[in-house]
Amino acid sequence: MSRTCLWGLLLTLTLLPARSGAAGLPAVESLADQIDQAVHTRLEAAGVQPAGPLDDERFLRRLMLDLAGRVPTLAEREAFLSDESPDKRTAWVEQLVASPDFAMHLRNELDLQLLARLKTDNDWREYLLEATRANRGWDDLFREIMLPERLREGEQGPAAFLRERVRDLDDLTNDTAVLFFGVNIGCAKCHDHPLVSDWEQRHYYGMASFFQRTYRTKTGLLAERFDGRIKFKTVVGDELEASFMFLDGAATYEPPVELSDERRKELDELVRKAQREDDAEPPRPEFSPRAELVRMALAPTGPDYFSRNMVNRTWARLMGQGLVEPLDQMHSENPPSHPELLDALAKDFATSGYDLKRLIHAMVLSETYARDSRITGGAEPPAADLFAVAIPRPLTPRQLSLSLLVATANPETMPGTASGDEWEKKRDELENRANSFATRVEIPGENFQVSVDEALLFSNGDRVAGDYLRDAGDRLVRHLTSLEADDDVAIVATQVVLSRSPAPEEQSRIADYLSARSDRRVEAIQQVVWALMTSPEFRFNH
Amino acid sequence: MKRKAWCGSADHPVSRRGFLGAAAAGTAFAADMTVLDALKQPALAEELKWQQKRVILLWLAGGASQLETWDPKPGVETGGPFRTIQTTVPGLHISELLPQQSERMQQTAVIRSLNTKIADHGGGYRLMETGRLPEPGVAFPHLGAILARELGRIDSHVPDHVSMYTSTEGRRKGTAGFLGARYNPMFLTENMMPENIRRLEAISEADHQDRAALRDFFAERFSRTVDSAAVASHGTAYERVRGLMASDRLFDISEEPQAMRDKYGPTQFGEQCLIARRLVEAGVPFVKVARAWWDSHGQNFETHRELCADLDHCMSALMDDLADRGLLENTLVITLGEFGRTPRINGSLGRDHFARAWSCTLTGCGIKGGAVYGKTDDKGETVVDGEIGAADLFATIFAAVGIDYEKEYMLGSRPIPIADFGATPVEEVLA
Repeated sequence: MSRTCLWGLLLTLTLLPARSGAAGLPAVESLADQIDQAVHTRLEAAGVQPAGPLDDERFLRRLMLDLAGRVPTLAEREAFLSDESPDKRTAWVEQLVASPDFAMHLRNELDLQLLARLKTDNDWREYLLEATRANRGWDDLFREIMLPERLREGEQGPAAFLRERVRDLDDLTNDTAVLFFGVNIGCAKCHDHPLVSDWEQRHYYGMASFFQRTYRTKTGLLAERFDGRIKFKTVVGDELEASFMFLDGAATYEPPVELSDERRKELDELVRKAQREDDAEPPRPEFSPRAELVRMALAPTGPDYFSRNMVNRTWARLMGQGLVEPLDQMHSENPPSHPELLDALAKDFATSGYDLKRLIHAMVLSETYARDSRITGGAEPPAADLFAVAIPRPLTPRQLSLSLLVATANPETMPGTASGDEWEKKRDELENRANSFATRVEIPGENFQVSVDEALLFSNGDRVAGDYLRDAGDRLVRHLTSLEADDDVAIVATQVVLSRSPAPEEQSRIADYLSARSDRRVEAIQQVVWALMTSPEFRFNH
Repeated sequence: MKRKAWCGSADHPVSRRGFLGAAAAGTAFAADMTVLDALKQPALAEELKWQQKRVILLWLAGGASQLETWDPKPGVETGGPFRTIQTTVPGLHISELLPQQSERMQQTAVIRSLNTKIADHGGGYRLMETGRLPEPGVAFPHLGAILARELGRIDSHVPDHVSMYTSTEGRRKGTAGFLGARYNPMFLTENMMPENIRRLEAISEADHQDRAALRDFFAERFSRTVDSAAVASHGTAYERVRGLMASDRLFDISEEPQAMRDKYGPTQFGEQCLIARRLVEAGVPFVKVARAWWDSHGQNFETHRELCADLDHCMSALMDDLADRGLLENTLVITLGEFGRTPRINGSLGRDHFARAWSCTLTGCGIKGGAVYGKTDDKGETVVDGEIGAADLFATIFAAVGIDYEKEYMLGSRPIPIADFGATPVEEVLA
């Protein structure tokens, strides 16, 4: 089989319309019902009464943070609250998943999942944005990210995932397993996993085999060598050769290649040149271990790790923790909290052509998503994996940075999604402005803690005072200064920053604060805005 | 993990909040709540403040030569031009480049038998800062973060992990890894004052405080409605702001009498050592002072003549000062780098990276002064007695300051001992 033929096939698969498998899929609303039924069944069995639904203003904030990656603008809030149609939540969700904000936020989330802070790479972020705008399937992205040199030849963007890790085979191996398959096999490097019988050394080295021939060319692109196999030592000292084996135990065999010594030397020289010289074209072996990984991962003989991982990560992102927790511990000894639900969602996800938008859409339509996070009464709170109460989630660095920009701007300059194209431009600009502050914020993960550095930054950083709290025409502070009554300042400030109206005692507390400082009203208003934006209520999605 | 943060009683919001503060630091670990609770008792806390163990790490970035410091080999071809001097410990000789140290060796234990194998800067740094080899997917905490967690007070008003750099390698900041951002270092970059620790002039002291109280009002109303260790950690972080701001004085050495400043000398390293003393005196459990750049591939002997003079002077001033204040018995001073240097002298009169047989020192808290552990061969090329690795050194450090070196953190279901599996402390240097 010729090389062109193989790659032609892969390419065709890539270019097929993403939604080709979507015929006969249930409506997104019924997928949402499935979620609620599965969650309800366990609640019922546990005898737990779930928290009630969120009120409109809190629901809108949560929804905007999850679908648009930022808090709502005052205009959006007013439009939502004054919308009297009974199915407005469904309608708003539908509009939001089609909005430019959605594509940008999903791009940011994928960037965080895959590259985190290894690098801020504009080509990569542009590549992801193009994909989320077109709602391309997750499998498409996976293929291209794993095989950039074959499917996106010459492009720097999709190459970033591998490029930023290519210096270390263990990073390539482990990060791919963790981020795409929800599996941490790092423990199985030196010995079979001591606690999890699923993971043996051969799985680790099998996974590593897919990357072992990968190298970086001088121009920052990826290529593969013609040969090379990993050998590893077992704890009893046997030396074994790793096979190209996927997590489910399926392995692929490399077709034998007869090369003369001379030809081999030539090829090696070409590889060396590609690593050293800008204009040297790397040779392309017919057998690509990474292509084998892609093939096996997307046609699993065992559990569909690829789908289950993305479903689980999306669930964790929207619901506060995974159906499988921790997110990288998908194995037989760590069952999901709702096994049938994970199966069903993963199956739907695969059938839909790995449609991320559909998955997110279904989750946010569910009642489970829309529960209150507040606990009333003194009773012991229910186990988190029952999803009876919404779990407060720390904002990601970009969510926080963007939300600060939106919440501290003059609301008249922030029309929001309703303004269409104008907003798309504005949002793009905010996206860029959010970059630098985002780098100062901790990435949420397991066992997340707010650092004292962050509290000091907000308390004393000149950036915070000079930017977010500036007394200038485009800032909230100036807008509030133009309001005469202290009560109005209290109401508008709370609505803009916390996306809700103040309780009476909050309103009077702010008004008192202001009236005690009538000799320095601008400063007093700055302090009020500061107190609201440094509240945990702003720092978390709840 | 979220469940652990709940005490079950909404009737006592104050005590619950205190508990949440403690739990925030201990979530997901086999947290020893008993200790955390003990630290919350004011009387006990006050007592502990004086007994509290502290650690100062003098990080010799780039890798100092063991042959020009703690394990000289005069008269052999690899020995270099410098002589040795007799120290206050009978039979113990060190390089003549450390004359002041030679007069204080009764306080210090030397380990001459580190074989850590990794001889590139990045790899050596990771190994010597975490005490173990890196593992993909696991962010191991650095020494400072572990000590901050084990020795620090949960409600501390001073920083508990401070890291000062000079240049190049010293810029590496250190990380708390899976212990969480609570234990990240307060990192001093260009100037000697931590970032954002001082109030901006645009806001008055009174307004700064009142503003914080207004914040607390909103924060409290929100936090009491949710059950979340992450939310609680937000409160803990802001609660520490005022205390940390008050600690800005600790970084201001102009408060020291001139005579004291003269003892440490005018070098940056000296001034940072003085800050380190001010910090540990105020109860900061871990301070790292990095001195760079020891990476003497060329002109090893000139480099060491200059850097050893600085090290000798500043370290001696620090030891004397700590001892005068009664702090040395509770403060462990470590000199360590990412590796040592080759016995072989290269064509540029330099010594290259060498991790097979090198040295470090431990002084003060928990240490048997004057002890010498381990031995290298005549040329200094291999360890012939008492070989230890990074994990053993970590176990020794933990044991010296009274931490159970076999203690484990739980990362998910996986136990991770604070000193790597198989580590054994060097009893011979422990008091």
